[in-house]
Amino acid sequence: MAFEQINPKVVSSAVAPGREVLSRRGSMLAYTGDVGFSPVHTGPGGIGGLAGRAVAGEHVSMMVAQGSGTVYYGFAGLYVTIIELDGTAALSVEADRLVAHDAALQSTVVFLGEGGGLRGMVRGAVSGQGLFTTQLHGVGSVAVMSHGGTIAVPVRSGEPTTVDPQAYVGHVGSVEAKVSLNASWRDAVGRGSGEAVQLKMSGSGTVYVQASEQKIR
Amino acid sequence: MTLPSTPFNPATLPDNDNVPGNHYAYCRKLDGQLFMQTGRMIAYYPAPGSAGIRFEPLSSATITGFVAERFSAPLYTRDWVVASGAGHLLLGDRGYDINSYTLEEGNLTLRASNLLAFDSTLELKQSIVPGFLTLIGTGTFLASSSGPVIFAEPPIRVDPQALVGWADCPSPSHHFDARWMTGFLGMAGGVLGMVSGEERQFDFTGAGTVLLQSSEHAVDDPHLLKQLESQVNTLAMSGLTRLQSVIQSRLSAEQRR
Repeated sequence: MAFEQINPKVVSSAVAPGREVLSRRGSMLAYTGDVGFSPVHTGPGGIGGLAGRAVAGEHVSMMVAQGSGTVYYGFAGLYVTIIELDGTAALSVEADRLVAHDAALQSTVVFLGEGGGLRGMVRGAVSGQGLFTTQLHGVGSVAVMSHGGTIAVPVRSGEPTTVDPQAYVGHVGSVEAKVSLNASWRDAVGRGSGEAVQLKMSGSGTVYVQASEQKIR
Repeated sequence: MTLPSTPFNPATLPDNDNVPGNHYAYCRKLDGQLFMQTGRMIAYYPAPGSAGIRFEPLSSATITGFVAERFSAPLYTRDWVVASGAGHLLLGDRGYDINSYTLEEGNLTLRASNLLAFDSTLELKQSIVPGFLTLIGTGTFLASSSGPVIFAEPPIRVDPQALVGWADCPSPSHHFDARWMTGFLGMAGGVLGMVSGEERQFDFTGAGTVLLQSSEHAVDDPHLLKQLESQVNTLAMSGLTRLQSVIQSRLSAEQRR
């Protein structure tokens, strides 16, 4: 395993030549050995990708750890969860939830939801994600942060799982997310349950949910 | 979460341990004197038949001599009190994990905001590193950390925000990441006077233990301000005028936002 969970808020990763680690800027807590950090400016896809990211608001400054040694990662006292990718399915996650991932993983910014349009817009607005999200492909580990830790909820075909948009952290597998508006006249008069907007996940895979409705600042 | 079937009372509270099932609160059995950071006490039980627990500011006349011997951190005197008497004292700190540590003829330096309380047998001094306090001698103390503390051995380099403290090893030095500084934008940043902060680390060498936590939320550190204030005295006239212009430009930049 590439990443090791030290405690609920800290993970460590071995870095070696050819085994670099990308991480959010400011997330390095400590390191042993001879490791150097340098800022990463162009995301995947070169300048076009960078511009895309800037437009998408999916731009979080990253840095790369090179050399040989062990690095400890954590961010602002938030909980950190390790997600292992075996190459069969991609992980979709909001860029500002990424603490660190293997540099071998391919990351792309994708447009959310089929058709986009009003639905996508609504979804972006309610989940605070914008219309784009980051996808990681390949074999490796990812460290994702959340408030209070994450719960992995399975999504099975024919049995959709519904999550609160604010509690949504990310998902793995061929999962489709749709906004479902469960609003009624009660919401219009301010007497709703407060759960009018939900994310309906269908397909097969896993959705990660945090134990809070707080976003990462 | 299930509530305990019976609420705690002095007989069921632990004598010197975390409150059962709760890392965030610590119960300390007091019999004598204890130095305590203000605002960290959440509740207390006076021992039956005793005069109860008194919290006295360090400047209080009845304890000045005793304090002068034990507490030589003038910048922090207003943040600390002496609790004396007998009873059970419950402490908490921003929902951080609280742990008790024992020091035997040793020295340990801690981030000032993470030190909750210490035995009156220990001596407290201000560290050379701003915002840190050093404990010397034998006794126990309570410290908080965001998540469990990670103990690491030098050589190690630590992000300043993630540092809780260190024991037995020499004070750290600054390490600047060459790869970061020489990078294309790093150089441009250097020219523009823009520093991200990530290229600066604390470098620990020698034998000892380094205590780490997941980095804290940025909070206004009143101690840092005091530290700066105390150093203003050491400046000459030219330094003071320079500082004034720096503060002026910062203030006008803040107001424009």
